[in-house]
Amino acid sequence: MAEETSKKNPEIVGFCCSYCTFKASEMAGSLRMKYPEGVKVIEVPCSSRVDPAFIIKAIVEGADGVFVSGCHPGDCHFIKGNFYTRRKIAALKEMFDAFSMKDRLRLFWVSASEARRFIDKVTSFYNYIKEKNDEREKA
Amino acid sequence: MKGKKLKSGDIENALNEFLKDGQHLVLGFKKDEKGVSHQIFKGSLDHHSLVNPVFGANAALYLRRLFSKGLKVVLMLRPCEIRAYVELHKLTQVEREDIIAVSIDCFGTVSSKEKKDDVPAEAGKLTEYFKDKGSMRWACSVCRERRGVVGDAGVRIDKSGNFWMVPYTERGEELVSGMEGELEEIPAEMLIPESPKTEKFEIDMETFNKDLEKCIMCMNCRDMCPVCYCIDCVFNGDEYLPKGDALLNKVFRTGSMQMPRGKDLFHLIRMYHVSQTCVGCGACEEACPQGIPLTKYFKGVSERLQGVFSYMSGRSFDEPIPYVTFLEDELKDAMD
Repeated sequence: MAEETSKKNPEIVGFCCSYCTFKASEMAGSLRMKYPEGVKVIEVPCSSRVDPAFIIKAIVEGADGVFVSGCHPGDCHFIKGNFYTRRKIAALKEMFDAFSMKDRLRLFWVSASEARRFIDKVTSFYNYIKEKNDEREKA
Repeated sequence: MKGKKLKSGDIENALNEFLKDGQHLVLGFKKDEKGVSHQIFKGSLDHHSLVNPVFGANAALYLRRLFSKGLKVVLMLRPCEIRAYVELHKLTQVEREDIIAVSIDCFGTVSSKEKKDDVPAEAGKLTEYFKDKGSMRWACSVCRERRGVVGDAGVRIDKSGNFWMVPYTERGEELVSGMEGELEEIPAEMLIPESPKTEKFEIDMETFNKDLEKCIMCMNCRDMCPVCYCIDCVFNGDEYLPKGDALLNKVFRTGSMQMPRGKDLFHLIRMYHVSQTCVGCGACEEACPQGIPLTKYFKGVSERLQGVFSYMSGRSFDEPIPYVTFLEDELKDAMD
């Protein structure tokens, strides 16, 4: 039974910056909002702490999708961290595009007060991956 | 652009003059009856050759962690090797202070794996030899920059076979000023033309996995890559490629596992890590005991990723590597 559900439901790994997105996810929790169970959130000190190697490892070892999320550009606690993230992830997306798996990686900005936005972004990504997986299973 | 037209022996004379100081060295090619190879010359040049038609390793590999104080070195190498040196300088692995890098027009090379005795080592004959592209290494046939236009100075060859020494920086001028002749305008068209643009690289994971089937994870590609310079590589620990107890723990947590594991992980991560600095020299493929077409992936991916930031590895000393800099107003479509 457990195996069946894990096959059906996608696993998504999210790297969230502890000052913005992770706070937003905590706020979502305290507001009793719900997001899909398959989403596993990992707290990182800053979104630029995410070495693209983490993302590649997550995908190679079985995650269906990975998202990186941090403060809005210009709002970084460490002043310019997320500008570096943007460059790194843009390059990684280009690389995934070459291997035709660009849709498995997303980057978005969520600030600490935007719990609703966090839920929306995560849920839409989850549904998108799920749809893709269903299509693949049918084919 | 101005340069000096050289007579045969001019470069050798100038370098011999330079080598008279005991603290000066030249890294270049040596040609003898056994063939052509890299050589560090001390004292005087003997059997020096400007071109090397066989590619074994990228000489920038020998320059890592070079912080020579008061010891001057002249590099007389291929454009790909000079470009790798420029990247290593930006990554603070080489102190540029005492190095004069001279790139020499490259006609392409043959692989050291299929070393043929009939390959000529003279500039004139090589164009003839490489007329049919089949004998050239694949990496060279799609090379981005075969002209000697990188580094501090360049040795160019014009259409009638004359050699030109062209300075690009102050250090280059210093070297060129020691040579005979006057600076004059160089011809617009040289023997080696600008490389054509290659197509955007695209591949599916199935082909990728099929190509990697033979990989034995010896990591020679990493060790021979001139720009893969980390002393403490992420793959040395247990986090990415567990060994021993850590591996067994992983099997107990996740289930049966095919060995050797992590081929795609290793190559994809390495591909990303060298993406902005890869010069496409093909040293990884040269080092691969299994003959995996690694250049196809590394060169293809790195060109695409460098294209995102309109960057070209090793093109100039002043351009910062894209990952260590940013613009506030850019990449509007990177977010979802």
